[in-house]
Amino acid sequence: MKKLLSFIAFSLILLSGCSGDGKVTESDLALLKTTNPPAVLIDKNTKGNLDLVENIEHDVEKMKELYDVAVVKSNGDTLVAYKVKHLQRFHMKKIEKKMTKMLEEKYPDENFIVSSDYKIFIEAVELQEKMKDPNFTDKKAKKKLDKIIKLKNEMT
Amino acid sequence: MSKKTKTPEQQQYEKLEQKHELKRPVLKNCIRAFWVGGLICVVGQAITYFYIYFFNFTEQTAGNPTVATMIFISMLLTGFGVYDRLGQFGGAGSAVPVTGFGNAVISAAIEHRTEGFVLGVGGNMFKLAGSVILFGVFSAFVVALIKTLLIIWGVI
Repeated sequence: MKKLLSFIAFSLILLSGCSGDGKVTESDLALLKTTNPPAVLIDKNTKGNLDLVENIEHDVEKMKELYDVAVVKSNGDTLVAYKVKHLQRFHMKKIEKKMTKMLEEKYPDENFIVSSDYKIFIEAVELQEKMKDPNFTDKKAKKKLDKIIKLKNEMT
Repeated sequence: MSKKTKTPEQQQYEKLEQKHELKRPVLKNCIRAFWVGGLICVVGQAITYFYIYFFNFTEQTAGNPTVATMIFISMLLTGFGVYDRLGQFGGAGSAVPVTGFGNAVISAAIEHRTEGFVLGVGGNMFKLAGSVILFGVFSAFVVALIKTLLIIWGVI
């Protein structure tokens, strides 16, 4: 029993040793709490485009089954990442279907990538944080978004 | 053998046996199994989140490295003799999750170590785990076959 306890303590120390440089950003906590990140636009900064991303975010947030939504729009694709309320996670597939249908009907010109995956959500919040930095160019942002989309499509 | 054909001695012995037999604590065992199995799954969930946070795994893909890590940990614990005690306490709770698979492999390997490396360890390592692999692969094959057929027929 003593051995088991010391093993548990050891593994806890081992796992918590990875907390990094001590600076905790929003994306580090994205799994634990509701972050409600603002929509991100990697595209020409026109009023129409800005309104569009915000409208998309509002429309998605209206769904009762979700509690946290991140939207990233580039000139090609629009990434919608969301967290599903715990007891609604049984209907995850159904919610995804419903959302894709709703979005595609309302915004037929956009190409949507919809994901309820935590990892995609974390990456989206991270991208939104990086966009605040003026040195972070649109090109880099687009590259990061492409990486997220590739990650989303990975199956194994 | 039906009850009528039993000799008087046998019947007498049966009565004696019933008097001395201990009642199995089914409910207690169930509760223990529930807790131990649940705790193992909590550890697994923590490892899943660890892979999601610090590596490029999504919720979908983090399952594979998690299973591998859990099996590895239980193999180490079996070697140190900790998992045996856990199994004695938790019963099915420690055998049903994948950690039970690692335990089955290593405990068989340790048991037959005296018979040599090839015929002992190599030949007996998968004594119990072999059936897990066989029926796992076979049932996966059957399910994949059914899914392929359903896709061809256009049901899903």
